[in-house]
Amino acid sequence: MEPREKRRARSPGFSDAITSRLGGETITLCYQCGTCASSCPVARITERFNPREVIRLSLLGEKDEVLSADAIWLCCSCYNCQERCPQKVEIADVIYALRNIAFREGHIPDIYSEFASAILNNGRIATVSKFVEKKRPALGLPPLQPTGLDDVRKILSATGYEKLRQEEEDA
Amino acid sequence: MSSYAIFLGCTIPARQQSYELSARKSLDKLGIKLIDLANMTCCCPPPIQSIDLETSLAVAAYNICLAEDADLDVITLCTGCFESLAMTNAMLREKDQLKARVNKILSNVGREYKGSKEVKHYLQVLMDDVGVDHLKRSISKPLRNLKVAAFSGCHLLRPSALLKVDDPERPRIFDNLIEALGAKSIEYRNKLKCCGGLLRGYSDDLALNIAREKLANTTKAGADCISTLCPFCFVALDLGQLQIRSKLQEEFNMPIIHYTELLSLALGIPPKELALETHKIKLDKIVDKIS
Amino acid sequence: MDSAKVGIFLSESGTELSKILDLDAITSYAKNIPGVVLVERESEFWRGKGLQTISEAVKNRKVNRVVVADTLPKLSEVKIVQAAQDAGLNPYLVEFLDLKHHCAWPHRETPSEATEKAKAMLLAATERAKLLEPLEKLEFPALKSVLVIGGGIAGIQTAIDLADLGFEVNLVEKEPFLGGLAARAGRFFPTDDCAICVQSPASDVKTITHTSRKCIYRSGFTEIPNLNVLTNSEVVSVDGVPGKYSVTIEKRPRYVNESKCVSCDLCTAVCPVEVPDDYNAKLDTRKAIYMNTPNVHPPVYVIDESACKFHDCARCVEVCPTDAIELDQKSEKTTLNVGSIIVATGFQEYDSSVIKEYHYDDYPDVITNLELARMIDGFGPTTGVIIRPSNHKPAKKVVMIQCVGSRDKRWNEYCSGICCMISLKHATLIKQAYPETDVTICYIDMRTTGREHEYYYERAREMGIKFVKGRPTEVTRDPETDKLIVDVEDALLKRFLELDADLVVLAPAMVPAEGTKELAEMLGLELDEDGFFKEYNAKLRPTETKLRGIYLCGGATFPKDAPTTSLHAHSAAMKATKFLKTGKIIKDQRTAVIDEEYCGDCEFCPVTCPYGAISLEPTTEDHFVARVSELLCEGCGICVGTCPLNAIELRHSRPNQMLAQMKGLMAVNGTSKPLVLAMCCSECGHTAVDSSGMAMMQYPANVRVMKVPCTGILQVHQFLDAFKAGAQGVMVVGCKSDGCHYEVGSQKAEKKVELTRTLLKEYGIEPERLEMFNMVYIEGDKFVEAAQLMTQRVEELGPLRIPREG
Repeated sequence: MEPREKRRARSPGFSDAITSRLGGETITLCYQCGTCASSCPVARITERFNPREVIRLSLLGEKDEVLSADAIWLCCSCYNCQERCPQKVEIADVIYALRNIAFREGHIPDIYSEFASAILNNGRIATVSKFVEKKRPALGLPPLQPTGLDDVRKILSATGYEKLRQEEEDA
Repeated sequence: MSSYAIFLGCTIPARQQSYELSARKSLDKLGIKLIDLANMTCCCPPPIQSIDLETSLAVAAYNICLAEDADLDVITLCTGCFESLAMTNAMLREKDQLKARVNKILSNVGREYKGSKEVKHYLQVLMDDVGVDHLKRSISKPLRNLKVAAFSGCHLLRPSALLKVDDPERPRIFDNLIEALGAKSIEYRNKLKCCGGLLRGYSDDLALNIAREKLANTTKAGADCISTLCPFCFVALDLGQLQIRSKLQEEFNMPIIHYTELLSLALGIPPKELALETHKIKLDKIVDKIS
Repeated sequence: MDSAKVGIFLSESGTELSKILDLDAITSYAKNIPGVVLVERESEFWRGKGLQTISEAVKNRKVNRVVVADTLPKLSEVKIVQAAQDAGLNPYLVEFLDLKHHCAWPHRETPSEATEKAKAMLLAATERAKLLEPLEKLEFPALKSVLVIGGGIAGIQTAIDLADLGFEVNLVEKEPFLGGLAARAGRFFPTDDCAICVQSPASDVKTITHTSRKCIYRSGFTEIPNLNVLTNSEVVSVDGVPGKYSVTIEKRPRYVNESKCVSCDLCTAVCPVEVPDDYNAKLDTRKAIYMNTPNVHPPVYVIDESACKFHDCARCVEVCPTDAIELDQKSEKTTLNVGSIIVATGFQEYDSSVIKEYHYDDYPDVITNLELARMIDGFGPTTGVIIRPSNHKPAKKVVMIQCVGSRDKRWNEYCSGICCMISLKHATLIKQAYPETDVTICYIDMRTTGREHEYYYERAREMGIKFVKGRPTEVTRDPETDKLIVDVEDALLKRFLELDADLVVLAPAMVPAEGTKELAEMLGLELDEDGFFKEYNAKLRPTETKLRGIYLCGGATFPKDAPTTSLHAHSAAMKATKFLKTGKIIKDQRTAVIDEEYCGDCEFCPVTCPYGAISLEPTTEDHFVARVSELLCEGCGICVGTCPLNAIELRHSRPNQMLAQMKGLMAVNGTSKPLVLAMCCSECGHTAVDSSGMAMMQYPANVRVMKVPCTGILQVHQFLDAFKAGAQGVMVVGCKSDGCHYEVGSQKAEKKVELTRTLLKEYGIEPERLEMFNMVYIEGDKFVEAAQLMTQRVEELGPLRIPREG
């Protein structure tokens, strides 16, 4: 039996927090049919992630459980669920919205932390090393164009991403 | 001759030069001019969307702006880049409020997204601009009924409401383009299912498990190779096979080959000009079979 | 017309009214209104002594206009108008007002203000009465015959009722045989008895074998003399007006003479052509000459002209013992003259091919409920054996999938209501006949809401039918075992299942029948957002459409089970007979009348009229005028409010009558507050005022109420007139915008209010002085709120300054 505190701990505003977030607008349409779960390649092989369950917990207001577990990071973004959902719930986008909220609350897997830094520092996720770049002429590939790093940084500043990343790093 | 602004993304130039090489050579041979624009950055695929969706849309829109300013449509190689940019294009064209928000952000770098240009994947360009018939006539070394397991990956097709490339349940474009090369695109179980590539680095166990299923299904169906469009799918199935060998003790020896590499071979470009040795699973079997 | 001699009849309602209103002061005021010749007071006027007083006043020619201030408007109006009419007064010269619920009770806390308001109300009623004109009731011919379109159980039951009631009925069915979906369904839930069973005609009492129920084939209902059944026939065009429709029917050739065929079946034996049998889900084949099942009606064969070789073969002709086969039959057109039309075209299964992940289009072992019904039916192609269509071997494992294309935003958003029970019916029938068959139903929700449905569901569980709460993502085929695999998550267990199946049965959405859109256009009927024929108001006027004379029944309005279809069919028959029973359609003359001199070739009114009552008639080469059909006009006045040249007036609510009323209401204030005029529609708005008064809710007496037929009648200049007459604020009170009893009236009013507000702004008048409110009868409190709001608002705004003209 779950401890009393857990049975009581509901964040009633969580559902609103999701619907007011870009990507999360459609979560309340869900009527728990389970099509997404059976469409999901990950749910099929592990109990740690089930999209129907994530939505159910979110709608009930189990904010802490949803944001602190690794479930939402196990979605492989294949969009099969979103494709088949009979209520047009944008499930994969809802997962992004949940991840966005999780990030703000300080729950981030290390690798995503690295991605976050990479784009801020390099304007790209993967950078072309000098070694690899040197091979281009020999292969007959044209030289690489410069990355618009300054512009990207300005954009990241404007959206508040930079600040977010900074806070996350400090934490 | 149609011209496009080529969007290379991050992974291909950094880690799969053979893909870029075969793409440039084959598309050039078919009359598609690829123009490299300055200042392109990351397309902001799922790993970045996971951090902040709005930022991702803004940066993706920025990239599209570069093409709009050069009055060119965008062509991508990686289907991940395709999904990211095409989805952004579709969403911003549909939702005025969102477009206004993004343009407010872009004003900081002196750009304005207009939605005037298309974002295409090269498969669409081959279908629409080149055409299957012209492609067939350009082939000098048909692939001799090579049994190819076509695997377009998820992001060419889905979310279909925004991408509108092909029928998401019964796609034919990729199969048709493979068969235009003289190969046979075979049926196999769970053809449209994900390779698990995006889980690599976070949960390798699950990723390998999912990739393993795809390799098993294609092997069972008698495929000579799996043809991919996405660099993540490629790594999941190519390098992934080595990891599956050591971690799951299962050996498949299934060559993984990008479509443009098959295309280049069929167009008669010599294999040694395509840097095919970079593939972890050797392609000797295929090259022998079709020469 | 003689000059008006108005009689005012003030009811005292026992003793209560005089406790609040100074009735003597009111009486003396009334006596002094020009044109008033008589003021009578009684406790009430709608019965007893009071009623006699009115009768006498009319009979003795003392008055030629009657103004009655009585309560309980509906009761009093009917009795008083009848008495006045009997005494010789045209009934349209009687005007009513309710001083109790519209004055005394809502203002009981300010009795002197109430008294002053009562004076204004009487003045308004009197001034209006003086301008009323006598109107006659119009009569239009109504043929006592009905056309029923659709020969399924809805159409048949309604046709039987109509025939029993002595009407001439024409039942037109586009298929060669009657029965519709019921004929294919076999059995109906929850009784599991015959689907094509209908109530016997009353005339059946006269036959020798008399039973209370009859299935179509042995019903003999087609032998009722005034019932004319046309199968293989379709409605091609509809002309005319309610009461006198002229319908053209095309009877397609059957190639078999109905009066000669003896259904001996010799023809099918020699026919060389075999085609897949669509009726039986292509589970077997049939010949070019065929009957769907042995128990059809009419029991006459039909030739499929797309398959038959006609004179290149003609073997059936040679072998027919009664020479019934006529290969040269042609299409025939007949015209039926009918008084009303009942649409009973039913529904069909949604085409599941679009849901590609279920492979209905390319896996032969994926079928629908209707196709399964053919297998279960003893008269069907497999004589009751459940088989796999791919190899015709018995199916031992059946998996059913619910909500296929239903409750699905990608296809049909609504719940079709009957599919859960249909699947349960099939599952239990299969289990009964073949207990070792494994049956699983995958569902999102089980909807078993009707009478006895829950017991049916319980029985299904007791029989060992399995239920999985989960909607499958896809159906695949294992090429090695040739089995189908249904991929589903059992949401209750949070476990993934790959269910083996020999047969997958889909429960598709139920959608409107083929040809619904075309028929709707032909008849001028609206379809709802799901594409079904729109019922006027499912609660208040079921089976009616907004066009009097055309009715709906059965699944044509929404998927239904058999008991509900039966109810609906009987309702439609009753509506049609009510309409036609006297052979005359009596219409009120309170219709719109167009001044053709002003009519400006604009086309606004025909488009706006919700009832299609206005048509355009050319008068010269390049000029046309609009004309109102008094038969079709419903008296709402929306055209009046639409005409940009004010060329239309509604009798009994003419602009001069309304203006007189307005001026009367503003003539006496008696409060310290600025006057507010509330223009209320007779359907919802005015009744909300009634209800506030009946509940004794208090609102200020400076609010004066005027009734209009529909707020759609109001024109922009009338709002300005109200201000000129002394109103400092104007409220328009109408039905809710999606609930206007005349379809679009309150929406039109809203637009005019907006336009007027813009104009007011231009004139330098505060636009907030005019506002529209929407409410229904029980929202008396909303009226009170609005009245208080407007009063407060105009008080704060200060006195209205109308800019000087010129």
